[in-house]
Parts: sequence; structure tokens; C-alpha cells
Amino acid sequence: MIVIKRRDVRNGLIFSIALIILLLMLVPYLWLALTAVKNRVDIFSIPPKFFITPSWENFHVAFVEKGFLQSLRNSIIVALSSTLITLFAGVPAAYSLTRFSTRGNNLYLFFLLAARLLPGIVLAVPLFILFSKARLINNYSAVVLSHITFNLPFAVWMMRSFFLEVPIALDEAATMDGCTPFATFTKIILPLVKGGLVATGIFCLINSWNEFLLALILTGRETATMPVAIPGLMTPLGTFWGQIAAVGTVTTLPVIIFALIVQKHIVQGMTGGAIQGE
Amino acid sequence: MQMMSNLKQGSPASGSWRTQFYLSRNTKIAIGFLLPSIVLLAAIILFPIGYSLALTFQSYSLVIPGKTGQWAGFENYLKFLGDKAFWAALGRVGLFTLLAVSFEVVIGVAFAYLLNAIRFGRRLLTSLLLIPTILTPVVIGLMFNLIFNAQFGLFNYLLKLAGIQITDGILNNPSTAFAALVAIDVWEWMPFIALIMLAGMQAIPEQPIEAAQIDGANGWQIFWQVMMPMLRPVLIVAILFRAAEAIREFDKVYILTGGGPGTATEVADLYLYRVSFSNWDLSYGATLGMVMFTLAMVVAVLYFFITVKRGEEQR
Repeated sequence: MIVIKRRDVRNGLIFSIALIILLLMLVPYLWLALTAVKNRVDIFSIPPKFFITPSWENFHVAFVEKGFLQSLRNSIIVALSSTLITLFAGVPAAYSLTRFSTRGNNLYLFFLLAARLLPGIVLAVPLFILFSKARLINNYSAVVLSHITFNLPFAVWMMRSFFLEVPIALDEAATMDGCTPFATFTKIILPLVKGGLVATGIFCLINSWNEFLLALILTGRETATMPVAIPGLMTPLGTFWGQIAAVGTVTTLPVIIFALIVQKHIVQGMTGGAIQGE
Repeated sequence: MQMMSNLKQGSPASGSWRTQFYLSRNTKIAIGFLLPSIVLLAAIILFPIGYSLALTFQSYSLVIPGKTGQWAGFENYLKFLGDKAFWAALGRVGLFTLLAVSFEVVIGVAFAYLLNAIRFGRRLLTSLLLIPTILTPVVIGLMFNLIFNAQFGLFNYLLKLAGIQITDGILNNPSTAFAALVAIDVWEWMPFIALIMLAGMQAIPEQPIEAAQIDGANGWQIFWQVMMPMLRPVLIVAILFRAAEAIREFDKVYILTGGGPGTATEVADLYLYRVSFSNWDLSYGATLGMVMFTLAMVVAVLYFFITVKRGEEQR
């Protein structure tokens, strides 16, 4: 005999209400994905069509004929490069801030926080002029460096929250066994925060992938990332909604997948380590 | 953590030199670890901001002839004080931030409360909930452009089904366009508040809530008088974070309305973008950038004192 407890009924009820609200909320995104597989006629039909035979034409036109494969490649190059440089510079810094007390620690943490809250437009003007003078506009290095301006401060704060969880007794034990500070960091402590490192890296990738303003100013035709390239499908002659939807779906799907991988750390990631998750 | 404060006070009880090695002043080793990040940030943040500051006293444009960096004194700053369009854009983004963050907090906290009441199956719901927050903002802008399209958009169609006939797209009317922008921001960031508050609610110990229940408090009283006081620090951090982001809104507006119709949705950062990269008045753009920089600093100081100071008290 199956016994249904009152508490379970209540749980199921609240669960269902929340699920319905969330599914309704996601309708705009599902609509985008549906538009991506619609043909030219179905997109503009009134009343809107909900049931269609999917067509891959929009993906083909955008990625093969209109060169969005190149933009996809650009996005990957920029996100990976800025993330790797960020982690190389940021992770040791975060470690140091939790292990060695220097007079400047708090000052540096404040500087990093200020940098993270800095509006992109404030840096856009000087970076544009400086990179123009160096003839680096439309070169990957310009946009990669510009993405480090927000990723590095983010990564230090986030990694700091993970290093704080590792007891300092471990560092001390390693030192007593003859490890140098650098070996202690790379061989003892870093493996312990592997999960945090992956989460931080993924958030850096997402931040860079989603960034628009700096990429808009610092890239050109050949180096444009996805967010910069997509609005190009809105032309004075008309807007290619099907292709926009196709490219938009391809841009956002990896973000959703990666975010779900690090879901455990999402709260920590969104607040840069200021608040711990569940 | 306890040890940290002892060492900071230079307590002699902290053992041999080896245990003092960590957390004590060890500037040389610390600099080795910090140096790569310091050099990088000095080059790509400090130097450009210094450069930008110098620019504010010049007349500079890469494009307009005759503006090649001549000394302009406080001309740019005087211009900024009298720039009605900038003040209007700043007021607009202020209103946008106030409205968007308020709705996000009210709905987000309510939703977190709902999720907190669930005992199993919560993971699926939080997975769905985080999607709007991590989507590429440009794609969000385009997505709602499609939904709000005057001719074939889903939104107008649903309104029609509900018996409301509108002849124009809601993005083509100044007040509805602004409202739509706020609504989209709430859609995107309500989950942010909800997820943070849910994490906060999960961290609340059971005992005070049970004690209140035994004392006969109802759900409403428990929420306001037991849970909220404990959640306040978390909520303040979340609000400051959101406000700092909302005030620099750019991506969605750029894509959705381009600031229009007229100047109805022209927020501060979009105005700055226009000044710098449409009118190519880069020195004036830098000056307005300094204003936004100052605003960001105010938020950073508040945030820093709340999070870091609170963290130190806990230790």
C-alpha cells in the first residue's frame, strides 16, 4: 500500500506551482529556439505558429554562408585566452591574499572590487585610443586584454573564497616538510581547490563570452565575437530573424550547459565569492 | 580563523617561526605571488584610467580635425555640468535601476521563499531559474525584440487573445518602451536575487524558526521577524551588486531600442557611447566616464565595508 503523506502533497503542489511559473518565464527563450528552426514563411505568420516541421536552413545560411563560424571561432579564442591569462595571474594572487598578510592586502582587495564594479564604458574610451595608437584594433590581443580587466578582479575574489576554506595548518605542515611556498601552493593547496578552480574558470569563460561593449569597440570584421556579430543581421533592408534566432541559440546553449555544470557554485560565482552557496 | 586575529595582534602564543610563516608579514613571498596580477592590472586598468583622466583636460578626437589633444583646462567639466542630455540620461538610468532592482527584490525574495518550502526536486527548479541570468545580454535583447515585434510578435498576439488591441509595438511608444526595458531586466535578474536569497534561507538554522512556531507565530510573522533580520546582510550585498550592474546598463538597450523612441530609453552608458563613438568627442566621453567612475567607486566603498568588515567581525 502506498501511503501519501500530507507533507508530500504540499511539496508536490509548491513544486508544480514553481515549475509552471518557471516554464512560463522561459517561453521567450523557447520561442527563440523555435524560431531558429522555422522557415521564412512560418516566422512571419499571423497567428504565430507553434507546431512546425523543423528546418536547419537558418543555421546553414548563418554559419556556412554568412561566416558565423568565424565569429564562433573568435568567441572561443577570446574567451579561452582571457580566461587562461586571468587564471595564471589571478589564482596565485588569490592564494597570497589568504596566506600572507601584507600592509597592502585590504587595499588590493578594494582595488580589485572597484575594478570589478567599474562600468565598461569608463575603460572603453582610453582602451580604444591606446589600442588604436598601438594598431591593435581588430587584433585578438586588444579584446582579450580588455576582458581581463573584469575577469581578473572577479577571479581573485572568487578564488579567495575557495582558498579561505582550506585550513592554513596544511600550508604549515607542508612548509615543515620542506616545501617551498611555491611548491606548497602548486602541489598541496591547488589540488584541494580543484573544484573551485574549474568553477572560476567557467565563470570567466561565460563573462568573456557574453561581453558586448568592449568587444564592439575593439574588434573588427575578422575578430568580431558572437555578441558583436549577431546585430549585423539587423540590416536597413530587413532583419533576418530566423538567422538571428539560430545564431542566438547557438551562442546561448553552451553558456547554459556550462552554467549547469557549475550550478553548485552559481551563487558564489554571481557574487564573486561574497556569498557562499548552498 | 581565530589564529588569524591572534597573529595580527602579534600574539606570542602563536608558536614557532614556522607557524608564524603564514599569515604573518611576509611581503617578499607575497609580492612574488601578487606581481603578475599587479603588473597586468596596472597596465590595463590603472594606466588607461590615468590616461583617461589626463584626456579630460584636453580637446581630443581621433576623427574630428583640429582636436588633437590641446590643453582645454576645465572646459570639459563645465560642459558636463551644463549637459542637460547627460543629466537626463543619468536620471533615466537612476529610475531604471530603482524600479528594476525593487521589483527584482520583491519578486526574487518571494520566489526564494517558495523554493525554500520545497523539500525535494529543488535542483531542477534552480537549474531552470538560473537560465535568464546567465544568457548573453545581447541575445536577450534580440529575443525580446522578436517577441515585442509590432507585426508578428508573440506578445501583441497574446494581448489580442486577451482582448487587448494595440496598433503599435510596445517598443515604439516612449513610456511602454521604458516599462518593457524594466520588465526585461526584472526577467533577467529576478533569478539572481532569488538564488542568492534561497542560499541565504538555506543557511538559516532550524531552531529559531521552530522556537517561533512553538510560540505560536504564523508564517508571515516568522518570515518578517525571524528570517528577514538574518537575511538582511545577504540581501544588502545582493542589492548593491545589482545596483552596480543596473546603473551601467548598455547591451540590452543598445539592441532593443537604441535609446529610443526619441530619448525615452537613453541610459547613461548609451549616451556616453554616443558621445565617444558616434560624435567622436573622446575627451568629453572620458570626462563623463570619470563621473560614472566616481559613482561606481561609491558603490564599491559601500560594498567593501559591508562585506569585508562583516567578514572580519565574524572572525
